[in-house]
Amino acid sequence: MNARALDGSRLLKWYPPRWRGRYGEEMVALMEDVLDGQAPSRRLRLSLVWAGLRERGHEAGLLGKTAPAVERARAGSLLVLCAWSVFMVAGISFAKITEHFGQVVPARNLALPNGSFDTVYVVAIVGGLLVVCGACVALPAFLRFLRDGGWPSIRAHVLRAAVSTVVFIGAGAALLGLADTLSPAQRNGGLLYHPVVWYYLLAVIATALLAALALGLWTVAAVVITGRLALGQPVLSVEAALAVGLSVAMFLMTAATAVWWGAIASSAPWFLQGIRPRQGVSAFSPTLLETIALMLVACAIAGFGVIRVARSWRDLRLA
Amino acid sequence: MAHDRNGLRRPNDPPLLILTSLAESPKHGHALAKDIEAFAGVVLGPGALYGAITRLEERGLIEPLGAEDRRRPYRLTAAGSAALAEAVRDMRKIADVGTARLELATGGLA
Repeated sequence: MNARALDGSRLLKWYPPRWRGRYGEEMVALMEDVLDGQAPSRRLRLSLVWAGLRERGHEAGLLGKTAPAVERARAGSLLVLCAWSVFMVAGISFAKITEHFGQVVPARNLALPNGSFDTVYVVAIVGGLLVVCGACVALPAFLRFLRDGGWPSIRAHVLRAAVSTVVFIGAGAALLGLADTLSPAQRNGGLLYHPVVWYYLLAVIATALLAALALGLWTVAAVVITGRLALGQPVLSVEAALAVGLSVAMFLMTAATAVWWGAIASSAPWFLQGIRPRQGVSAFSPTLLETIALMLVACAIAGFGVIRVARSWRDLRLA
Repeated sequence: MAHDRNGLRRPNDPPLLILTSLAESPKHGHALAKDIEAFAGVVLGPGALYGAITRLEERGLIEPLGAEDRRRPYRLTAAGSAALAEAVRDMRKIADVGTARLELATGGLA
């Protein structure tokens, strides 16, 4: 291999474009000197992937202290917003799992499951309102951005998210139409020998995936848009405070979900298996476990974002 | 070697090594890597080296000179010299205390 033939653009593709523009050539020159005509090893390639991702983290204000406080606060807040999107997917799953539990659990044991479920429900509404508040606070800056001709730079992201939403709504309407033709037992996954039940289950999974896709694309659009807005220190302070509140909401809901599981496990474990009441039924539910695991992932992401916000808070107030 | 056989870490922070290397003279990436390996026994990969160079330049501790055939040398700034001097003073303080206590305990260094 010729030393001059090192494919720098491929090796450095994990680095942010702005970084590549500034340091790319000299780094490729360094690698040519070091490698002296040898092909880059797998270890070197992996180290470049890691270093490139770290550089992206620095550029996004997610790592290090070199980015200005406003950028670090913005990055931390946006990370919490991403965590909220992940949490919403888990929330939808929890809503599906808990459907009709009040009709199955004996009335004398309902207080704790009801209390924990209501906690999740109320805190979810509060969390949603916090997100809406965050959007409202950033709205004037967004309108200024549009007036200044910013639309072309975000159009593709917004259109992708809008199209995915329309597809999801169409699929949801079709799913409702299909559900109307089924009996309650078929809708709950019973009578699996009937082909239409399989179609219904596939449609439910496909619609859930479309919902997650739409949610993800709107989140990406929100991150891209917010990253381009000129947000002043007061606005970012409010966004940071809302991000902290949203994170607390996620932690509360995760704890309440775990309490709900514990309460159902002790009073009506058969509900988690979708069977009639009887003794000796396991309270283990893979779906619920996955749901809580997803919630914990969201909490971890939110926690990282909040730490980022908190560390930039003092600098932000001094700015 | 970055670590000795007892697992005690020697000062191998890439920014500190780069500043130390540039205290001698301006150098480009490959010359920096070779010099650091020679005086500290630390092999810095391209990713770690340029990650540290990026941070140091952002903090104004080093600055680039004109490129020579795609190889761009860097030199210390005044702020970089001051930062290195402070770091070296801190390390010397630890080294002096360690040396003095070892001499007290063993009656002299081997």
